[in-house]
Amino acid sequence: MARITRVLAAVIAIGFGLITLAGLLVGEGLGFLSAFVDGLRVRDLAGLFLQLVVITAAVTVLIGVVNLLLVHLRRVRQRACGWVYSTVLLAAAVAVLAATVLERAGVLTGDPPLTRLLLEDVQVSVESALAGLLLFALVYGAVRATRSQRFSGWALLFTLALLIALAGALPLPELAPLAEARSWLLAVPVSAGARGILLGIALATLVAGVRVLIGQDRSYRE
Amino acid sequence: MDTTTQFVGIVLILVALVALVVAAQVQRRRQQAFALRPIPAYEALPDLVGAAIEANRPLHLSLGSAGLGGNSTLLALAGTELLYQVAQRSAISAVPPLFTVSDTTAIPLGHDTLRRAYQARGLLERYRPGAVRWYPAGPRSLAFAAGLTAAMGDDNVSANLLVGSFGPELALIGEAAHRRDQPLIAASDQPEGQAVAYAFSDQPLIAEELFAGGAYLSTDAAQVGALVAQDVLRWLLIAALVVSAVLAAAGGG
Repeated sequence: MARITRVLAAVIAIGFGLITLAGLLVGEGLGFLSAFVDGLRVRDLAGLFLQLVVITAAVTVLIGVVNLLLVHLRRVRQRACGWVYSTVLLAAAVAVLAATVLERAGVLTGDPPLTRLLLEDVQVSVESALAGLLLFALVYGAVRATRSQRFSGWALLFTLALLIALAGALPLPELAPLAEARSWLLAVPVSAGARGILLGIALATLVAGVRVLIGQDRSYRE
Repeated sequence: MDTTTQFVGIVLILVALVALVVAAQVQRRRQQAFALRPIPAYEALPDLVGAAIEANRPLHLSLGSAGLGGNSTLLALAGTELLYQVAQRSAISAVPPLFTVSDTTAIPLGHDTLRRAYQARGLLERYRPGAVRWYPAGPRSLAFAAGLTAAMGDDNVSANLLVGSFGPELALIGEAAHRRDQPLIAASDQPEGQAVAYAFSDQPLIAEELFAGGAYLSTDAAQVGALVAQDVLRWLLIAALVVSAVLAAAGGG
């Protein structure tokens, strides 16, 4: 029975995948392929499948909320490390949920609404503070990257590039040559490296996609 | 999409398909047919799992904002393959690995992967649904990073394996890992996140290496075939770039 279920799941996933791929990839001007896709209305089917994905993804938000509440309820019940923070999280979640329901019911009125205040004055402020901390963490990372490597040509090159990038950003006319060197670094080697990384990821994604489409992914085989 | 792009897309998929199937078959018939170059992060991973089991502490894996249904779907699948390998190795431990995500679509994927890993070892009774946790991400994923730094301390994790979609917020997580003396292996599909991952990781993974976990940590011929297919496509891409550059130079001359 389990084997039949596995095969059925694989057939459904592969079938839906191939139909969606054909609907998205095959357009006009590809001869019999275009005629095939047009004749079977594959593009409409692909659009329908994508809409189903959006709806399913929306449902998983509920799963996420339940997961979050259950994890923190368990922490409070077990008095695990940091259970006090879990209590605050649960209380905040219940309070925000109640405020939203009361606002929608017209019981809680105010301009601006309380939930918007909570989002803009609490959530955004906390995230902005974290963004400020991020700067220090990034500087720490840069220092660590220069210190942790053993002395080598690559380490020297890395440190030199870092110094040029930092010094070249200073608004001092005396450092104009460094600013030019920085611009060149960002436009040529950095840009080429980033493109190389993205191309590598794109190729790996393509191959991983083909593996899924032909049923070689582990989830189909176990 | 114009006809040329469609045509090239179809050809690339067909080349990948043929290379994948042929390489997997060759690998099945002749083990060690394709030698894999050493990747320090994957070489270090079994030791990290062993250390976590001995210390009775969880290993922390995170996908970041990778999830199903979007551009990062296949990245999420690659990340959960890594989770499968780690969970299978650490199934004998009393403490299950901690799996964190910020995309809710990755929650069922994480549960399914963990369940299958424990089932494969015949230890399904040790599977704990609470091992998969969702930390909501704000507009810049900073809330997710803050949640993770707290969880890493509260759960006293043994090591961190962050393989997925991360931005510069990875620096907050990396800094917290170093403060607590927790080893870190990180990689991201975003260039900014990848740069931070390289600076903070004890053993960095770069670009497509984050898709190679399954091939390095298992003896699965299909996974090795996927790496060979990637290499075939890479050489074709290099050839296309060189030819187009030569043609452009000749045309310009």
